Amino acid sequence: MRPFKFTTTNSVASASTLALQNKQAKFLAGGTNLIDLMKEDVEHPDELIDISQLSPGIKMQAGGLWLGASAKNTETANHPLVRQHFPLLSQAILAGASAQIRNMASNGGNLLQRTRCTYFYDVAMPCNKREPGSGCGALDGINRMHAIFGWSNQCVAVYPSDMAVALLALNAKIHTDKRTIAIADFHRLPGEHPEIENLLQPGEVITGIELPNNAFAAHSAYVKVRDRHSYAFALVSVAAGLQLQGTLANFKAAAELALKDARPLKHNAFKIELGKRTIVAALEQALNA
Amino acid sequence: MDKDLTPLTDEEKRLFGDLMPDELEEIIQTGLNRRHFMKLIGLASAGLLAGHLLGAERAFARGVALGEIDELPAIAIENGVNVSFKVNANPTQVMVDSRMTLLDTLRERLGLTGSKKGCDHGQCGACTVIVDGQRVLSCLTLAATCQNKNILTIEGLAKGNELNPMQEAFLKHDGFQCGFCTPGQICSAVALMKEAKEGQLSYASRNVRKTAAPIILSDDEIAERMSGNICRCGAYANIVAAIKDAQTGQSVEPNWEYIA
Amino acid sequence: MENQIGKATDRIDGILKVTGKATYATDYPARNLAYAVIFKSTIAAGKISAINSAELQKMPGVITVITHENAPKLNVKGGLRGGALLQGPEILFYGQHIGIVVAETFEQATHAAKMAKVTYEKTDGKTDFEALIPTATTPKGREMADFIRGDSNASAPVKFEATYHTPIEHHHPMEPHSTVAVWEGDTVTLYNGSQVINGAQTSAAGVLGLKPEQVRIISPYIGGGFGSKGGQWANLALAAVAAKMANRPVKLALTRQQMFNSVGLRQQNFQKISLGAQADGTLISLLHETTTHTAINDEYIEGCGEGAKVMYQTPNLKVAYKVVPMNLILPTYTRGPGHSTGSFALESAMDELAHQLNMDPIALRLKNIPDKDPSSGKPFSSRATVKCLTEGAKLFGWDKRQQQPGQLKINNEWVGYGVACATYPARQRPSSASIKLTLANNEVRAVVSIAASDLGTGTFTILTQTAADGLGLPLANVTVNLGDSALPAAAGSVGSVGAASFANAVNDACEQITNELVTKSGKQFFVRPTAAQLMQSEQLSSYEAKADAKAPEAAANYSSHSFNANFCEIRVDAATGMARVARFLAVTGAGKILNPKTARSQIIGGNTWGIGMALTEESLIDPRWGNFATRSFADYHVPVNKDVGQMEARFIKEEDNFVNKMGIKGIGEVGITGVAAAIANAVFNATGKRIRSLPITPDKLLI
Repeated sequence: MRPFKFTTTNSVASASTLALQNKQAKFLAGGTNLIDLMKEDVEHPDELIDISQLSPGIKMQAGGLWLGASAKNTETANHPLVRQHFPLLSQAILAGASAQIRNMASNGGNLLQRTRCTYFYDVAMPCNKREPGSGCGALDGINRMHAIFGWSNQCVAVYPSDMAVALLALNAKIHTDKRTIAIADFHRLPGEHPEIENLLQPGEVITGIELPNNAFAAHSAYVKVRDRHSYAFALVSVAAGLQLQGTLANFKAAAELALKDARPLKHNAFKIELGKRTIVAALEQALNA
Repeated sequence: MDKDLTPLTDEEKRLFGDLMPDELEEIIQTGLNRRHFMKLIGLASAGLLAGHLLGAERAFARGVALGEIDELPAIAIENGVNVSFKVNANPTQVMVDSRMTLLDTLRERLGLTGSKKGCDHGQCGACTVIVDGQRVLSCLTLAATCQNKNILTIEGLAKGNELNPMQEAFLKHDGFQCGFCTPGQICSAVALMKEAKEGQLSYASRNVRKTAAPIILSDDEIAERMSGNICRCGAYANIVAAIKDAQTGQSVEPNWEYIA
Repeated sequence: MENQIGKATDRIDGILKVTGKATYATDYPARNLAYAVIFKSTIAAGKISAINSAELQKMPGVITVITHENAPKLNVKGGLRGGALLQGPEILFYGQHIGIVVAETFEQATHAAKMAKVTYEKTDGKTDFEALIPTATTPKGREMADFIRGDSNASAPVKFEATYHTPIEHHHPMEPHSTVAVWEGDTVTLYNGSQVINGAQTSAAGVLGLKPEQVRIISPYIGGGFGSKGGQWANLALAAVAAKMANRPVKLALTRQQMFNSVGLRQQNFQKISLGAQADGTLISLLHETTTHTAINDEYIEGCGEGAKVMYQTPNLKVAYKVVPMNLILPTYTRGPGHSTGSFALESAMDELAHQLNMDPIALRLKNIPDKDPSSGKPFSSRATVKCLTEGAKLFGWDKRQQQPGQLKINNEWVGYGVACATYPARQRPSSASIKLTLANNEVRAVVSIAASDLGTGTFTILTQTAADGLGLPLANVTVNLGDSALPAAAGSVGSVGAASFANAVNDACEQITNELVTKSGKQFFVRPTAAQLMQSEQLSSYEAKADAKAPEAAANYSSHSFNANFCEIRVDAATGMARVARFLAVTGAGKILNPKTARSQIIGGNTWGIGMALTEESLIDPRWGNFATRSFADYHVPVNKDVGQMEARFIKEEDNFVNKMGIKGIGEVGITGVAAAIANAVFNATGKRIRSLPITPDKLLI
């Protein structure tokens, strides 16, 4: 890693100020993604501002559940209120990474994790996300694990968070120290600027995630398909919540609809069929839950 | 032991004094380096435990004497952070480069080489240690973030001559071959016992919605929850058997009979 | 005293491993240590024009920067594999070592190495295997020449032909290759995981231009090797060079990312199998042709077709190889070289033939069992294939198998059974062992010394058991010294020769010392006493002897192999195509089993490798540049705990009086042979889909 100053602070406001004072600084919470990226020299902040204790806690509030940004993934997945009212989120979190990583990872950090595209990770490879203008190694390269939705000729990488898929299904809202953003709006498609991944402005700190009350708790399922049975990123994954009774015919129609805008790359066309089947499987599991 | 080593500070004497008052005097008299103290504890245990002395130990007697780890020159620490934490119940204070991971701190600065570096990127679990009761990856943990934390490593699991039940179980069921992933597996498994007692879930769990209660782990559950610890020698089946035995006392010995 | 050999004894080194006290290479606490980190090329072919060494040298904590511009002259033919010894600006593969930074700390060395800026004169490299296949030629190595018996094109009523594909795989032992190098004058001690202790010594010495006596290898514990720590690679010499030039002991550990292109790999193979048979399944012809790649300037080819030479009776046989040199790192011995991948092709083809003939797959195998080694005419010293298949079938419940595929679905999973049988050669290589007996406080103790290695193979334990029996001592009174080149020279833990070579050497030494003690006593005995008893009766305070062991001459008259049969129950998720091994049974005939506990672990370890080969492992090179797109442990999927189901390993009671004195045949690699095929065959039985290209990932099973 490149040398960096390690800074501690005791409030979100001061963390924000510190970040505004040094545009090369980054926030550190669990570190499970950032430290990995710093070792690869993909990220190289000259200062780390430790925010790992600043936004703890999970609590019920009017209209839904509040998940503190600093709360760990394990704590969140196992919290009685999450298990009871948002089991889909528990399942999605538990499908990701390993127990050790979930113990370290913060909710806020999970949202901000970056792609695992190997061309992004390998600093010798062309990557518009890492180095705007250098090209996209995956577009005509080994892209079996890459996107079938929303890609552009600048970038075909996928966003790997399991938790976020469930949050999207649950219409979560992301709270920062400045504003509230619906999760569907939070992340950006690559377009012409794949280096810009979300709406956060410099110095903006995620403080929590709000889960509005919903009626999915009784019937939901998270299904993840991967190349080995655990500790691997998804080929496809589906978060499904059912509020109404569905039939197999409806499920298949829903799957067709969900995949209708999919555009495959050279090596990942299988994801379209696999995605449809996984959606049907997830809906069936949700129905029988 | 060399005599020309940095003496203990007053604070260190106070910290160490709680633990082993008799040895403290000896340490002060000989001017032993503070880090040697950690190594001494480890070696003392090894002397008791390794009743069957493996000849290979003698190879290490040649040249360098164990336990003599040098101080770093000032140039070696950039953006230094002074951090205090407990390792295996021993208060420890160390000045680290801000980049230094907990794993490298344990291995290179504190002489605790039990935790292993399998990948250094959080992708194999060999570096698993227990921090404040939870299993974590020490290779992705900056030492600077460990202020006031309680760290338990493989070296801290046995109590003198007595192995931790999980260590016994791994021995009995041959839950290892080359042994490199083993410290991480065992630390992971020990923490897993606490998780199961607290009724924590996994991707393999049925019925997420029911209230948390202690779980007896099925083979499937054990396998899922231990999948963050890779074993290239393929001892998985025996690892599961060991953990099952440690949790439930249920032990199925393989059939050693020739089949024909 | 009861025999120790044959007992399921707990590992002798176990207590050190479960307490974190076992010392691997980088655990060695040298004084005044410096840290070395290698940096590598980012082109596949061409030459280096410039490296910013001067800038790197100025970075904090940097002690020295070594490149081809200032590296000492080394002997590139001295015995280390894969080149990359910083001897010139030429680049032969992507990821070739091109420099070393030595610094006060690991953090400083790593950072400086990452800041290396290199300019190259790039040339077009050979990096696209599939495009290059039309240019493949017969290999240079004599043992890879075409093997022909009769006419493999002979006419036959039933014919089958298919091509099978296995990708690049990596050893990825949990311990990345690492060395602590400590110089004292003109001798160097290298703490380095080495499967072949003396081989590491001579190759390091050879490359460094030293006499073997000037190099000492210390390797009591090794964090896995699987063939990659058999031959040694440039990093071993470079650690010594770094230590010499920095004038400090140096710790050099490859990173996991560097492990992809530093220590060899298993090459990609296309294997064409053609079978000709009678309608009743009797084989008439067998063709096994392998097309693969090697390094641009050095040849290594795994013998995928070697199993075809011994497994089945057939009048017409052709085994051939074709190879393409490429700008990739040299491939190398990877667990079960040839037989692991070769058995995937051969045993899948046999299964496909059985299906074509509507025969039970086991019945087809049983129809074609040779009574002698068909390739040499030599009798087998022992062969358990038939028993492995028939007894294994009973134990597994093979009669529950559906003869037609795609018939059984339980809980939305397709269920299938598959079988495969395979082999791995058995050899004893020359090894020496010395024994020192002492008598004190009325107790006899033994110290056994041999430059053997234990990489989790159980050497410490089986040698303790062997010596205990050979000398008449309890286990606790025997200490085994190994893993040090200063000890009596021995073969390596490679090619499954370890147990046979080491245990026979120790056994011979036990016999030797007992014989000498009998002679020394001057007495005649009705019942031969043990060495321990003689020490007591003669009241000797100490006695030493040494033996040099090698395979009995008569062994050369036989063909010796371990043989197995594997049974797999697979369950495939009908929606997602994810396949899981629910149950696996390996039945092996490997002669004398010294310790069923460690033997079972070896077999299930090999089976787990086979599960990886079949279902999860695949390394991909971007053909445009020759770099590994799979470049980390997150990209390359070795099996995790959840990938493995119920594993059972059983042995056939087998006495082999020809292969070597103790009748040991070796089990380190037979455990991986025939596994991928058993799994692929089970997948076919479950789903009706025949997958000929590994790994069998969900996308290939969307049915």
